[in-house]
Amino acid sequence: MRLELNIVQITKVQSADATAVRNGVLCVNRQELEDLVKQDTRLTGVRIELANPGDKCRIVNVADVIEPRARIADSGPDFPGAVGMQGTAGHGTTCVLRGAAVLINDYDIGGRQYQRADEGIIDMWGPGAEVGPYGRTCNVIVLASPANGTSVDEYCVALKIAGLKTAVHLAKAGAGLTPDEVEIYDIPPLRETAGTMQDLPRVAYICQVFTNQRVPLPGDPVLYGHHIEKMVPTILHPNELFDGALTDPYRGYAATYVIQNHPMIKELYQNHGKTLHFAGVIISNAPSNAPESERTANVAANLAKWILGADGAVLTKIGGGAPELTMALTAQRCEELGIRTALALAHQGIDASEITLKASTVFSNVPQVDAMVSMGTSTASPMLTLPPADKVVGVADGSPMGKELRKPASDIRGSFSQLGDSRLTAVRY
Amino acid sequence: MASKKLRVVHYLNQIFGGLGSKDQAHRGPQIVDGPTGPGRAIQSRLAEKGEVVATAICGDDYVGERIDEAAAEIVQLIRRYDPDIVIAGPAFEAGRYGVACGAICKKVQETLHIPAVTGMYGENPGVDLFHKDVYIVQTGDSVRTMDEAITRMVDLAMKQAAGQEIGKPAEDGYFPRGILVNEQSDRNGAARVVAMLLDKLKGRPFEPEVLQPTHYRVDPAPGIKDIGTSTIALVTDGGLVPAGNPDGIESRNATRFGGYGFKDIDSLAAADYDVNHSGYATVFTRQNPNRLIPVDAMREIEREKGIGKLHERFYSTTGVATRLETARRMGRAIAAELKSEGVSGAILTST
Repeated sequence: MRLELNIVQITKVQSADATAVRNGVLCVNRQELEDLVKQDTRLTGVRIELANPGDKCRIVNVADVIEPRARIADSGPDFPGAVGMQGTAGHGTTCVLRGAAVLINDYDIGGRQYQRADEGIIDMWGPGAEVGPYGRTCNVIVLASPANGTSVDEYCVALKIAGLKTAVHLAKAGAGLTPDEVEIYDIPPLRETAGTMQDLPRVAYICQVFTNQRVPLPGDPVLYGHHIEKMVPTILHPNELFDGALTDPYRGYAATYVIQNHPMIKELYQNHGKTLHFAGVIISNAPSNAPESERTANVAANLAKWILGADGAVLTKIGGGAPELTMALTAQRCEELGIRTALALAHQGIDASEITLKASTVFSNVPQVDAMVSMGTSTASPMLTLPPADKVVGVADGSPMGKELRKPASDIRGSFSQLGDSRLTAVRY
Repeated sequence: MASKKLRVVHYLNQIFGGLGSKDQAHRGPQIVDGPTGPGRAIQSRLAEKGEVVATAICGDDYVGERIDEAAAEIVQLIRRYDPDIVIAGPAFEAGRYGVACGAICKKVQETLHIPAVTGMYGENPGVDLFHKDVYIVQTGDSVRTMDEAITRMVDLAMKQAAGQEIGKPAEDGYFPRGILVNEQSDRNGAARVVAMLLDKLKGRPFEPEVLQPTHYRVDPAPGIKDIGTSTIALVTDGGLVPAGNPDGIESRNATRFGGYGFKDIDSLAAADYDVNHSGYATVFTRQNPNRLIPVDAMREIEREKGIGKLHERFYSTTGVATRLETARRMGRAIAAELKSEGVSGAILTST
């Protein structure tokens, strides 16, 4: 499967009469975009806001972040099953507006089901912009309220699809341009690569996507338009994740943006053919009970061993303690089948003072799981003083969110990553 | 400032202090001018930068039998020499000596407000007891590693005295003090984990950044002999609280718990309760608190004489990223209350 990413660099976003990319400036016809979103009758009061790095603008209630991408010519449908018709993502040519991001904002959610109260803050300037990646992107924010008779669930699904559509619509403006950069991701069938790479260790990536600690949003188009809450682990070609097969579950721990730029897959691609043979991605969810966790661990390890023929696997989790247990159990099953494992996690740090001579995970007594990389711990998150904002996007009138805020860095959207793109590491002193 | 010689007081037990062997372990504290025994190695490492002005010596049994008082007595002796730093040991794997060194260093820091450093072998119980409070340099298990231990102890003490930043445990050779700090690595997590996997696959050494904790074992209490006459309580870490959360139990990293009565109530009413828990979808518990604290089901069992009595107070806290130490403290307190109220069994529900 071969995917060509035509990357157009964006350095600024501004309102304009016509949506276009000119000299790195993403010009947005907001009316046109609002009309596009309004086509979904579940949404009302649609507004498009823009924010550039350096603006004294605070965005809160960010439910997801999406990189503008559109598939060019007859590559196939965009976000198959979610925006476009069913189809296969990951092949052909896709235009990417690098440096731009679409944010969906569910400030009018009303209920609390999917809300994580104080999190999801993006500051476009100051200390908040330094700790999270989305203070440095040129942001197009989609805001809407639920139309009469629309449930909270429907509102969230509609908003997410609106964000995906907006991302596609904007990226189409870059499709005819000469790209600033082209990235090619090409891994042919295992049968063809096996011969040339027989001296290299075969490595699989076992990637959690959804944690059953949370109630799944019904109708959330996570994998080719469907939710995965009851999914057994399954294999995807790495390119499919880059190209819209998978979105972040609603108000999840990552962001669709991170999946589109999946750091672990990029790293494995960079090593592919040099130090290892990238055998594929196994996606899974993280169940919240022991039998289902066993089931997930067994199926994932079996796929890695008996289908992909992996010698090694890297694993990441999504969420908190239960996902950590599932990840460790999956690694243990892999090791029992002779697959060497290494894990990267933003760990719990259950008790920094309790851990005596060791750092902490929630699992213990799994001797085979000895290779772990720390991606920081939110419990050691420094407190930030976020200065007052000139403009706040995504709050009800009268909200104090525009004032000076004292928040742990972990409340900034994207400040912690469980997928490998952060350089944070928790060091024991 | 730079030319000022550091005044160092050194602590030794009866053996290293030259009083004698185990038969002298009862000896009380004393202090002598200048270095003694291993103190001479400290002096030579200090060279011109400092001077071992005195050596405090005490028997291990004397300290072991009255740790707090003995440490206070020894610190009073040390105080007279007006030291800038105190170095104790190294104690290697000698357990009582290690505990004494740790206790004295801690007391020095608390009362004299100057840095104190000691050194021990990893298995020494003093490490477990005092690593959070004082810098304990890692040593081998015997005097064979004396020179290296002295070097590390002196260097770390001088760094502290000069107000320099202390390095990572591996760099400065001390036991981690249980403090986690988020830092920026040179590469992202993806690059580091792939590199670590390749090292593991090739059989090359690798340094894990996260280690598993060692959990201590809880032996279960003996079974209830006659459940039909027993009082059974309900306990949860699912965050159920009376509406308004009167005890202010935190939604994560909780440090508090509450006990909430439900006398003569057959079923918990949703309107009376709230859930303050950031670790699971609380919507179902809000709709029906009995699904977390099953008062309705327990009342039925009570009527059928399946148990003697349902304890009419449930205990609740929030289990999300809760410190193990805190959980243990709360668990003990809840257990003590239950015990004093004649409860012989508890059902714990989690989420």
